[in-house]
Amino acid sequence: MEQMEVDVDMTAKPSTSSSAAAAAAAATAAAAGSNIPEAQLQQPKGNVMAAEGTTGSVTISLHPLVIMNISEHWTRFRAQHGEPRQVYGALIGKQKGRNIEIMNSFELKTDVIGDETIINKDYYNKKEQQYKQVFSDLDFIGWYTTGENPTADDIKIQKQIAAINECPIMLQLHPLSRSVDQLPLKLYESLIDLVDGEATMLFVPLTYTLATEEAERIGVDHVARMTSNESGEKSVVAEHLVAQDSAIKMLNTRIKIVLQYIKDVEAGKLKANQEILREAYALCHRLPVMQVPAFQEEFYTQCNDVGLISYLGTLTKGCNDMHHFVNKFNMLYDRQGSSRRMRGLYY
Amino acid sequence: MDVDAAQKTWELENNIQTLPSCDEIFRYDAEQQRQIIDAKPWEKDPHFFKDIKISALALLKIVMHARSGGTLEVMGLMLGKVEDNTMIVMDAFALPVEGTETRVNAQAQAYEYMTAYMEAAKEVGRMEHAVGWYHSHPGYGCWLSGIDVSTQMLNQTYQEPFVAIVVDPVRTVSAGKVCLGAFRTYPKGYKPPNEEPSEYQTIPLNKIEDFGVHCKQYYPLEISYFKSALDRKLLDSLWNKYWVNTLGSSGLLTNTEYTTGQIMDLSEKLEQSENFLGRGTDVNEKRSEDKLSKATRDCSRSTIELIHGLMAQIVKDKLFNKVGLGK
Repeated sequence: MEQMEVDVDMTAKPSTSSSAAAAAAAATAAAAGSNIPEAQLQQPKGNVMAAEGTTGSVTISLHPLVIMNISEHWTRFRAQHGEPRQVYGALIGKQKGRNIEIMNSFELKTDVIGDETIINKDYYNKKEQQYKQVFSDLDFIGWYTTGENPTADDIKIQKQIAAINECPIMLQLHPLSRSVDQLPLKLYESLIDLVDGEATMLFVPLTYTLATEEAERIGVDHVARMTSNESGEKSVVAEHLVAQDSAIKMLNTRIKIVLQYIKDVEAGKLKANQEILREAYALCHRLPVMQVPAFQEEFYTQCNDVGLISYLGTLTKGCNDMHHFVNKFNMLYDRQGSSRRMRGLYY
Repeated sequence: MDVDAAQKTWELENNIQTLPSCDEIFRYDAEQQRQIIDAKPWEKDPHFFKDIKISALALLKIVMHARSGGTLEVMGLMLGKVEDNTMIVMDAFALPVEGTETRVNAQAQAYEYMTAYMEAAKEVGRMEHAVGWYHSHPGYGCWLSGIDVSTQMLNQTYQEPFVAIVVDPVRTVSAGKVCLGAFRTYPKGYKPPNEEPSEYQTIPLNKIEDFGVHCKQYYPLEISYFKSALDRKLLDSLWNKYWVNTLGSSGLLTNTEYTTGQIMDLSEKLEQSENFLGRGTDVNEKRSEDKLSKATRDCSRSTIELIHGLMAQIVKDKLFNKVGLGK
């Protein structure tokens, strides 16, 4: 049970498509459930992490733009210095109660004094003033860095950042990770706990969801698949259907994972996790998703609307063709018997 | 093949991190850039720049900024460099300016912000100069209006190399793909040698005059996008979480307003072409025919978009609502 939050990085907004999201949630949970031993091994060394089982106090939704921003920051530094190095930046977004939405980010300047990395406050203040002018509704949320696991140095930075925002969020991206299924990033908040009679700052892992809006989704889609699209067919229909198809395929694989998990539990190969089973049950129970007459009616109206518009389109097209035909016919007729002056007849 | 594989395992085992060739583009060579800027090769040929490369990050930033503006036009600057005939856009940032067509040229207002921002960016290792500006045309397509043309001409006189990018966030959403154009203006008095017809696009009636008057004063650049090796990996994993949104969103619902607008515009265009038809003399024949064909093309396009939306709806209906009913 307590390992749940180690590996779970939940699905996208549940509000968009509840059943698809639930399937994904169940699948991730199932996947997490099946590799519990691995997660246990990964217990971080040192004492920067809070005790297992401490749950985070906030929920976080993360925009892909932030991920791309960090990726670019890291890549650029590597290209310019020839070697990978740790980068630092600030996260900005909105906070409503216990929900935090991370919308954007910018780089931070650091100075190295001795062995310590110090965040340049003047630079931060300057940047804050700037982003307030453009994104007036965004606030400082936390900071990001790169690396695999939080270190004692990160605690020092966290303490510096805490001077700006009392409980900053830390995002850590691991650029050299080789896993493909999971996004190589983790989020943490900090708490102060007594360790050996001393107040120590510790990191608590947080779960996150990916937030997105339509334009962002299209943008990500566009850059993610631009290479595969350039060659091959140009059909718009195919393009559209391929997007749908790959999404459904993904849903299919997720469902298969859930199914496999249940089968294994049934066969006694895995220990049953009640939470996962309950979620899977709830998911099945919810299908079919919409069966109320009101939905059917709305759906038919929508179909009819689109049908009507395509009818309109066809009519316009027909008119245009007819017009072209009449024009050409007139031209021909004119040439043949220009003496007869019968043109007017056709208008 | 064997050698390749061997090298891969060796690299893996020793954790060697070579700079992937696709990341070379992220290196900034100040000396080389200064040489190019000093040489000013674009002064000799008004058609010097032919391609533009936009980074995935810049594209996302531009699209999201444009979308956040809603029906207001927004504006920002792009940082990057040049290489031969190609302009490379590495990053973009928003300017604190928004408003209607007339206010988009509020360059002076944003100038101070711009300088401060670029200075700050240099401090964190972003060495590139400004290579262009972008602004949004919500709902009316990617082209340069009269004001845009004069702004861009001014920029090309004093700020070379400079490019103008126009993005349409509304159409991006309705068509399901990024609607973006990159343009450079010709110097005053320059006549483009061959007037190839630019790609046809739907422009609302109240803007079409503005488009027609100025459309010969600039030319579009060929756009391509690039991403780093890390971007590629992240995007792949991102898709693992993103697919839900592809199923979860409905293009028909998000775009009702835009669709209605399109139909309104279409009816106006049809009425206009009808007027021309009524007069129906030989002189006007050519023009009226054009009008009707154009209206037809607009119509087909919006119909196709809507049918796509419906197709997605039906697929989802089959997938989620018809489960277990067959038996």
